[in-house]
Amino acid sequence: MIYSQIFDMVNIGIAILDRDCHVVKWNRWLEVRSKISPGEIIGKSLFDFFPELDKPWFHRNFKTVRNFGNFSFFSQKLHSYFFPFKALNTLGSKFDYMQQSCTMGPLRNENNAIEYVFITIQDVTEIAAYERKLIELNTEDGLTGIYNRRYLESKLEEEFLRHQRYSRPFSVIMMDIDFFKKINDTYGHQCGDTVLQTLVKKISSNIRKVDIFARYGGEEFCLLLPETTLEAANLVANNLRVIVENSDFRYNDRDIRFTISQGVSALSEGDESAQTLLRKADSALYEAKRTGRNKVVSH
Amino acid sequence: MNKDIGGLFSDEDKDILQEVMNIAFGNATADLAEVIDIFVVLTVPQIQVMKIHDLPAYFEQNIHGFDRLWKLDQKFWGDFAGSGLLVFPEKTGKFLVELFEAGDISAAESKPFDSLEKEILLELGNILVGACVGKIAELLDTRVTYSPPVASQGESKDFSALVETFDQEQTAITLKTVFEFENQNISGLLFLITNQDSIKWLKKSLNNYLESFDE
Amino acid sequence: MIKKILIVDDSPIARKIMRTCIPKDRGYELLEAVNGKEGLEKHRTFKPDLTFMDLTMPELDGYKATEEIKKIDGNAVIVAATADIQSKSLERITALGAFAVLKKPPQKSAIREILDQVEKHLAKNQKGGVDE
Repeated sequence: MIYSQIFDMVNIGIAILDRDCHVVKWNRWLEVRSKISPGEIIGKSLFDFFPELDKPWFHRNFKTVRNFGNFSFFSQKLHSYFFPFKALNTLGSKFDYMQQSCTMGPLRNENNAIEYVFITIQDVTEIAAYERKLIELNTEDGLTGIYNRRYLESKLEEEFLRHQRYSRPFSVIMMDIDFFKKINDTYGHQCGDTVLQTLVKKISSNIRKVDIFARYGGEEFCLLLPETTLEAANLVANNLRVIVENSDFRYNDRDIRFTISQGVSALSEGDESAQTLLRKADSALYEAKRTGRNKVVSH
Repeated sequence: MNKDIGGLFSDEDKDILQEVMNIAFGNATADLAEVIDIFVVLTVPQIQVMKIHDLPAYFEQNIHGFDRLWKLDQKFWGDFAGSGLLVFPEKTGKFLVELFEAGDISAAESKPFDSLEKEILLELGNILVGACVGKIAELLDTRVTYSPPVASQGESKDFSALVETFDQEQTAITLKTVFEFENQNISGLLFLITNQDSIKWLKKSLNNYLESFDE
Repeated sequence: MIKKILIVDDSPIARKIMRTCIPKDRGYELLEAVNGKEGLEKHRTFKPDLTFMDLTMPELDGYKATEEIKKIDGNAVIVAATADIQSKSLERITALGAFAVLKKPPQKSAIREILDQVEKHLAKNQKGGVDE
């Protein structure tokens, strides 16, 4: 009597499927979150209600449990969610769906044969949201909202290794606002801040989703371009140079123009580390500054 | 290596174990085809009995030529207890992703490649270890439970960490098989390492297994 | 009538298991070989009515041994014993001339069935006048 209560009282979802993926049991937790009652779903195929599960990965995992009697584990980190349920609490607004951590396991009968497979679903949305917040605080630049230097350095390392491993083209642009100190001295630091924010907006709306744009220093920024050759990176840099040069920026009824200098480098054979790439881009940037500013130089 | 273990595990025990393993791995190969839809071959397992402190050298010997690799560690518990270890050369990671994600392109596109690789590996490891250990358990009439598998990248000399968690003086039985996805040029190694506590039970259950044919 | 049975397997335990599972009350004469090469030789000298052949063996595996035996004696009855029963493997061994496949671990009932099938097969061949 107590056992049957546990099934509907616990704060995790429990579904039991037969060997053909028909639902045999659907607990209260699942009923509330899916808005599907046991009466509706029991006896039917799981895929009638969740066709998105009718995929090779689900079948592989289901079959291994059903045939071999081991467990399948689905962590939120890798899978995000199993069933597409709406996130319930406010923290969950960061996610489209409830974040879940799930396990599948075997259930045997008196003859020790595996008759059913259970699935347990845990709502880990809150934890995932906190984790995300923590990561954001750690990797975001407060003023502009883009990535900070700490994040950039670790991402650079990661991308460098990956592109090197698979021999893929990878480029880096270091950029710097020309005469930024002068802007601050002439118009004040609040203007300077707004310039930074404007630049970030302009650049961000002109790069791809896979590109990583970060604030490296006071007025220095770094752009990582995965799967991009030096030639292509140069085009990107020049495009950005023109966009910034032509952008209208008003502050307190003043028209302010600013430009950026850029140094570009690309992953080449013999590059020892991610730092090598950064150094090349940096020296190219230095040359751009030295030879007139509002310019792109590549090394 | 076998001399001081004679009392614990005799040559005849080893012969029975070899036959049980041949059957288990052969059956597992057939079963796997049903689960992952791809023809995978498992070679006849090589069995060795050794002390835990010999394991790092054993691994280094057996994993030569791999350079950087993916490794997957899955522990299992019960009368038959130990660790399942799956080892792949690092570059086969992306072939595996292609092989497994073939029918699942929408899922593949939305995830960064590295996490896909890890996901496939965890899944594959879980399935392979599940198939082999599951079959052994079935033949020896016992039940096994599993911990979630853990994946990591490393080099062949990195196995000392794995071994540190065991008592160095204990005896282990190691089973090594090469698994290969036919026509795909993807292969790797699967090791099962059972700890000393299991050996006593194993000895008894192997002899029971042999006797069961007399009935 | 089956009088002589040859068991070819590199595992002494597998051979022991087969000996245990084959009915003892029918007066069969059993002989063992430890690999494909020895299996080939003993088939030639012992002339068994039925051979149980393990497929994975060193020094000439079961596939090759079956092939070689069938070349010498097209009527030889060979039953493959294997743990791996994927259809691909089954097709291969059947194409090489195996009479049937016995799944490992062997069940006594499966062995009895195979023995019955072989008896019927031998009786049919003798009636049809196919002498050696």
